[in-house]
Amino acid sequence: MAETGQLTHAPVGLPTLSRVTLLRIAIIVAILTIWEATAASGLLFRDVVPSLLVIGRAVANLLVENDFYWHLGVTAGEVGTGLAIGGLAGLVVGIALGANRFLSQAFESYLYYLGPTPKIIFFPVMIMWFGVGPGSKVAMGTISCFFPIALSVAAGMRQIDEVLIRVGRSFRANTWQMVTKIYLPAMRAPIVNGVRLGLGVAIIGTLLAETKLSNRGVGFLIINSYSTFNMPRMYSLLIVVFVLAIGANVLVSRWGNLEAVKGR
Amino acid sequence: MPAATQLKRTDQGSVRIDPADAILVVDGITKRFTTPDGVLTAVDNVSLTVAPGEFLGVIGPSGCGKSTLFNVIGGLMDGYEGRVSVAGETVSGPHRSIGMVFQEESTFPWRSVIDNVAFPLEIAGLSKAERYDKARHFVDLVGLDGFERRYPAELSGGMRQRVSMARTLASEPKILLMDEPFAALDEQTRLLLGDKVLQIQQQLQQTTLIITHNITEAVQLSDRILVMTYRPGKVKRIVDIDLPRPRTSEIVSSEAFGRYVAQIWSDLREEASRGMRDDESRKLQAGEKP
Amino acid sequence: MAALTKTRAFPAFVGIFALVAAITLIELLIRVGVINRFIVPLPSQIAMSFERVIVEEGIPERFWLTLREAFWATVLLTVFGVGIGVLLHRIRTLRLATETWVAAMASAPTVLMYPLFLVIFGRSANTIIMMGFVAGLAPVILKTVEGLAGTRRVLIDVGRSFKLTPWQLYWKILFPAALPSIFVGIKLGMIFALINIVGVEFLINFGGLGQLINELAERYDLAGTYAAICFVILVSVLFFMFTERVEQWLRPVN
Repeated sequence: MAETGQLTHAPVGLPTLSRVTLLRIAIIVAILTIWEATAASGLLFRDVVPSLLVIGRAVANLLVENDFYWHLGVTAGEVGTGLAIGGLAGLVVGIALGANRFLSQAFESYLYYLGPTPKIIFFPVMIMWFGVGPGSKVAMGTISCFFPIALSVAAGMRQIDEVLIRVGRSFRANTWQMVTKIYLPAMRAPIVNGVRLGLGVAIIGTLLAETKLSNRGVGFLIINSYSTFNMPRMYSLLIVVFVLAIGANVLVSRWGNLEAVKGR
Repeated sequence: MPAATQLKRTDQGSVRIDPADAILVVDGITKRFTTPDGVLTAVDNVSLTVAPGEFLGVIGPSGCGKSTLFNVIGGLMDGYEGRVSVAGETVSGPHRSIGMVFQEESTFPWRSVIDNVAFPLEIAGLSKAERYDKARHFVDLVGLDGFERRYPAELSGGMRQRVSMARTLASEPKILLMDEPFAALDEQTRLLLGDKVLQIQQQLQQTTLIITHNITEAVQLSDRILVMTYRPGKVKRIVDIDLPRPRTSEIVSSEAFGRYVAQIWSDLREEASRGMRDDESRKLQAGEKP
Repeated sequence: MAALTKTRAFPAFVGIFALVAAITLIELLIRVGVINRFIVPLPSQIAMSFERVIVEEGIPERFWLTLREAFWATVLLTVFGVGIGVLLHRIRTLRLATETWVAAMASAPTVLMYPLFLVIFGRSANTIIMMGFVAGLAPVILKTVEGLAGTRRVLIDVGRSFKLTPWQLYWKILFPAALPSIFVGIKLGMIFALINIVGVEFLINFGGLGQLINELAERYDLAGTYAAICFVILVSVLFFMFTERVEQWLRPVN
């Protein structure tokens, strides 16, 4: 039951900024001011906190650098391939585990308990198997995203309304038809969620591998700027990576919401 | 032998209590809400008085503003017209002389039974020994001795409501205010718990106001019953329940009981069906299925 | 036979059997030469290096090192995570303003900042602890806010009816009601932290278990590297199981 509320009308002509927006702006301004003050005062070791202007220039320089886009392409390719392979494998395994209770009881706990292990420790093995080139990076991305996707899909399978499965069986759909016409459409939400999570960990896995042992890719650029102690460049790379990663996450979420609306 | 205050009878046979004797005075309460559909008057000029030691039942159809009244008297709601006073003091916020028992599940799941009941004593600053001593008394009173160390998750719904009741009683309020405390329980449990409540009330001489939609329960427990109309909630009638005290649940099979129930039902039925029609037409307008 | 498949034990048995069978198959394939033994060492060799690795590489000390790092990271993310969570819950505008930012932080690749932390904290345990802290902070904040906000209305009403001060309301009602959710958040935080801690140990070649894998790999000790990886998996699995147990133990109270 609502209490009586008064609508406050702002004077006509002025844009009304909500308190939330104002607070956000205030926080951002405060952080930037503190940063700049720290940079100017020289409190921390000189180069660790570069002035915002310097960082800004580094970002600008980065974005007009052709080389950067080439490296970005390499990384994107590795992430994309890793996600594709790991995603497909995760999907297949997830469907198998979700559809068959016996398989699930026998094997799913392996996935469940292996999931929260740091996959980067497998990197030396990946190098041995796939060499020092992009192969090992793609492999890292693959094993990173395989687990969350498989588990998400398996759980999603089990949540599909029983009725829908029985309908498919009553029409004697074969396995392929069951998968494409019933399982996948019914699992939009868990699949999207799994892909979102998988994308995140694939990015992390691939980039970490690049920082460890590579001569190309964004990860390589980051560790390179560390070894040359080019802090502004490192900041600019990190900023760009974070923006892209969060942006990709948001995009997948949006796509997922669109799918959900369609599914209704 | 417990004795309620002498209730003066008016010419019409209904009972009026001199405000000077009353421990709870509710005077002209009107509460309105602003909704997207306009202003809704939940409670309209409701007045009532409760004598010390009296058991007053408030009954009405769904939508008569009972819960609003409960929250207003208990001091949990403001923005109303009129006045509520306890032993002469105006109520403007939760009052230490008013104890509330809520309709929903309200025991603290993370505290044992004894810790739940001792809660108000803890707030009041009693020492551990003192409050456990007192709390144990109230745990026994509601018939849960032996369950002190158990947790609410291990108890049945009826037992949990008893814990809530014991907790409120432990704060020794002048007035006990209960909002459909047995709504979630089955009929037999309700009757037995009603017995328990009668027993406690008679033992403690506790002034009690119970809000319910269950006629049997109201007649079983009350000295007087206030029948409310459908929205906007007004006092339709005050019925004097002249059944013997002390009472037990056996009273439900007596003839007098049946007559009271019939009488109240005839009042309620009219209000309840108004409520149903209103509900149906609202749903039709909103495009929902009735 | 059909009834046998329905029991809980049988599928678990099959799972273990399948694992053992797979390992045996790999052993055979390597001995026969189908798989290159310089890429995949013999499982039997790996098993034999377990003892060597444990003794010579000081597994217990390394284990304690990693554990200490995880402990401090957990302390930090509990204190700051719950503290910030309570703050956000108390000040509604602040919460509305920053909740999406915190959620974004939860999905951001914070571990990529390790070179930056290296510069700030040097090649030390502090870098590792801070990386764990940063990785695990967001879920604790989010779950704390969720728990506090999700307190059932009637429990707050009970508090109000007993005239509790705002401080008492928080301490005696909201906080206990939110505790299960807060623990889930801390559990998630701990898992994220541990993953990042072992990962960063590997990457910067410093610390306990993660560093061991790196070192053995650089020494081309194949069997040892595999053994160390197995060991880390074991620790990670046990840690995860432990947090699950704790969570279960806390839940019946509610």
